[in-house]
Amino acid sequence: MEKVSVVIDGRTFEAVKDRCVLEVAHENGIYIPSLCYNSEVPSSGGSCRVCLVEAHQGGRMRLVTACNYPVRKGLEVKTDTPLVHRIRRGVLELLLARVPDSEVIREMAASEGIAEVRFRKDEGENERYKCIACALCTNVCAEVVGVHAIAMTERGADKKPATPYDKPSEVCIGCGACAYACPTGAITMKEKDGVRRIWHRDFQMVRCSVCGTPYIPQAQVDWIVSRTGKDRSFFDKCPDHR
Amino acid sequence: MGAIKSVEQLEAYRRELAAAARPELPTVLVCFGTGCQANGARPVAEAFMDVIKEQGLEIDVNVGIKTTGCHGYCENGPLVALRPQDILYLKVKPEDVPEIVEETVKGGRVVERLVYRDKATGEAVARYSEIPFYRHQQRIALRHIGTIDPASIDDYILAGGYAGLTKALAMKPDDIISEVERSGLRGRGGGGFPAGTKWRSCVAVESDVRYVLCNGDEGDPGAFMDRSIMEGDPHSVIEGMIIGAYALGSHQGYIYVRDEYPLAIRNLTAALEAAREKGLLGEDILGSGFSFDIKISRGGGAFVCGESSALMRSVAGEVGEPRAKYIRSVERGLYDKPTVLNNVETWANVPEIILKGADWYASIGTEGSKGTKVFSLVGKVNNTGLVEVPMGISIRELVENIGGGILGGKEFKAVQTGGPSGGCIPERLADLPIDFDSLTEAGSMMGSGGIIVMDEDTCMVDVARYFTGFLVEESCGKCTPCRDGLPRMLDLLTEITEGCGGEEHLAMLEGLCDLLTWGALCGLGTSAANPVLSTIKYFRDEYEAHIRDKRCPAGVCKALITYHIDPEACTGCRLCAKNCPQECITGKRKEPHTIDADKCIKCGVCKDVCTFDAVRIS
Repeated sequence: MEKVSVVIDGRTFEAVKDRCVLEVAHENGIYIPSLCYNSEVPSSGGSCRVCLVEAHQGGRMRLVTACNYPVRKGLEVKTDTPLVHRIRRGVLELLLARVPDSEVIREMAASEGIAEVRFRKDEGENERYKCIACALCTNVCAEVVGVHAIAMTERGADKKPATPYDKPSEVCIGCGACAYACPTGAITMKEKDGVRRIWHRDFQMVRCSVCGTPYIPQAQVDWIVSRTGKDRSFFDKCPDHR
Repeated sequence: MGAIKSVEQLEAYRRELAAAARPELPTVLVCFGTGCQANGARPVAEAFMDVIKEQGLEIDVNVGIKTTGCHGYCENGPLVALRPQDILYLKVKPEDVPEIVEETVKGGRVVERLVYRDKATGEAVARYSEIPFYRHQQRIALRHIGTIDPASIDDYILAGGYAGLTKALAMKPDDIISEVERSGLRGRGGGGFPAGTKWRSCVAVESDVRYVLCNGDEGDPGAFMDRSIMEGDPHSVIEGMIIGAYALGSHQGYIYVRDEYPLAIRNLTAALEAAREKGLLGEDILGSGFSFDIKISRGGGAFVCGESSALMRSVAGEVGEPRAKYIRSVERGLYDKPTVLNNVETWANVPEIILKGADWYASIGTEGSKGTKVFSLVGKVNNTGLVEVPMGISIRELVENIGGGILGGKEFKAVQTGGPSGGCIPERLADLPIDFDSLTEAGSMMGSGGIIVMDEDTCMVDVARYFTGFLVEESCGKCTPCRDGLPRMLDLLTEITEGCGGEEHLAMLEGLCDLLTWGALCGLGTSAANPVLSTIKYFRDEYEAHIRDKRCPAGVCKALITYHIDPEACTGCRLCAKNCPQECITGKRKEPHTIDADKCIKCGVCKDVCTFDAVRIS
């Protein structure tokens, strides 16, 4: 793999060409905040804008999202400039206005010195008021799980992840990867009496034959078996008792 | 005839067409652009057919077979042009047709009441080319529009069409790119990126597959430049794309057209079919060994799909959302292959550049912006419509010479250029040359070429609010600054127009503008601050009047104005009282009336109907 040298905050690093700035920075102990990016999800990133940094290249400077900006020869990145903080504060203030009750956003905003929002706040009870519409959930569903049960619907401020027509989805396997990946905990997944409820649908859970804990939805077992040909009996026991 | 198999055969075919043509015969050209059709061009065309059939006249009437594309002077439609006399009739009705045939077609005389009349001097101008609206234009992209039948490939070939292609096929692909580079042609879709540079960087990327795309997703309110070209001269776009594909080594092209343009889709589809039949598209074009074809991809009406990366996703069948363009589309575009995307007007210029040469093209326009540009000139001017002028013409020349000045003799206040995310330029800068760089420097942009002229009755805060509202509706919602910032911006602007704005509103607006400009993902978001930034820059006093004095100087913002009747001017005719939907105007006949301000909804009907100018706004 071709390597290039890149300067981040005045320090020079060797990095694989076209890797993203965010990962190169993190591996070298330089912190850049992020929300919508997950290294395991190819299409993730670019949406929340909290990882904006200065990219200096070819005599030109612009703000770019570190999570998907490719490292190339001659690139110099600055992560800690007045401009970066000014724009990051603006983004966080808007996110806080959108999801004022989100703990994650409140903390991130506070670390940039924002406690109060000057703009109209969106307030309400349901998941929308924790969701920053970053699409990480739908990207996980499509690219990691491979089932395409949810997608981003609507546009503008109404944009949200949803199953088709907000009805229980037939293809959803109830795996909960979306809820796990969500940076703001906006996806509700509840379990009671061996039944998991997510995206308006109830999923029967398989219980571990040893400890009796319901640990995986039956639909997920079916999906894995159909995709991998793995022996169904493998799922009789939970990971702790295999 | 079937497929044309060589350049020589095409030229022979062109000569055949020329020999059969009889330009000396009277010809009636009925504009069949969308505007004229909406105004009733079809019954006019049918009336011509009927009269001609009835009288057994041996003339070549452009009806049914040879109706033309848009002449651009749409507000005066239906337009009928007559050749060889070079006469243009405006607002023609079916009942005018027998007279036109009798007087003009047969007698060669002008029907005075149908010709253009100068609004200021009252002078009649019958000759097409002498009407001020046309006289100052220079048509390259619109070269055939209004004179040829878009449904006839023969008409296009007879007018010199596909000669650019035959010349290109004899050139080395690299030389074609050099020619486009030297011409200085810059993208007409809004970005103004040099087309030749784009092509050059695309061929530099190694790949087995390349695509050429045409952006026909014209979404700016009031803009119809690309529509007119696709509807009125589809082959010019197709020819441009074939030349581009040959230069780039591409074998597949797509034209992305919004589905709201049914006539454009119909005419393009027919033109593609005709080009294929003639051997100008498909395998082994004109025996050159080069193969290329074009498909039409229909857009579903999202403004953001005019943005290049969203457009490419939409063509590929994905959701039309932009992506970060850190890796450019010339490297990784449609289906991750090197792709050149140019807009309709850019492609339509290419055949002429190849045919007449880069030097000819570069001799037109300004140092940094070569050639001509098509504008849709709308708003408070006397003549509205589609105009093509050399780059570098001043805003004032455009408004006064071509537009014929401000409607109703009012004061010229500003022009808004560049579509919804463009900016407003005040009258005091009206001598600014219209070119890519000057407009950007002034805080606006060329965009795709929309020019909205505003008079003294326009409130600039209200204008900013209107365009921001449009962008709120059209934001795809992918990135935070655009999705959540634009609605907040609209909140602030609405509060100001409602008289609830404080001093902090301006600072907050400027903060959001800063955030959008630096932080948004795509061109829609990064340019979305322009309406607000430019109006604050040039009309800050108007913002301050709304905020400090709770006053709308232009008398537009409803919350800040009241209607009242001047007792001196009112004759007590009762007209306003009869028309008031709130029934809140009282007064005896022949005595001054009064408006009950508590009930008044400020709809302005009273002001519109008053013939004595007695209704005032304060």
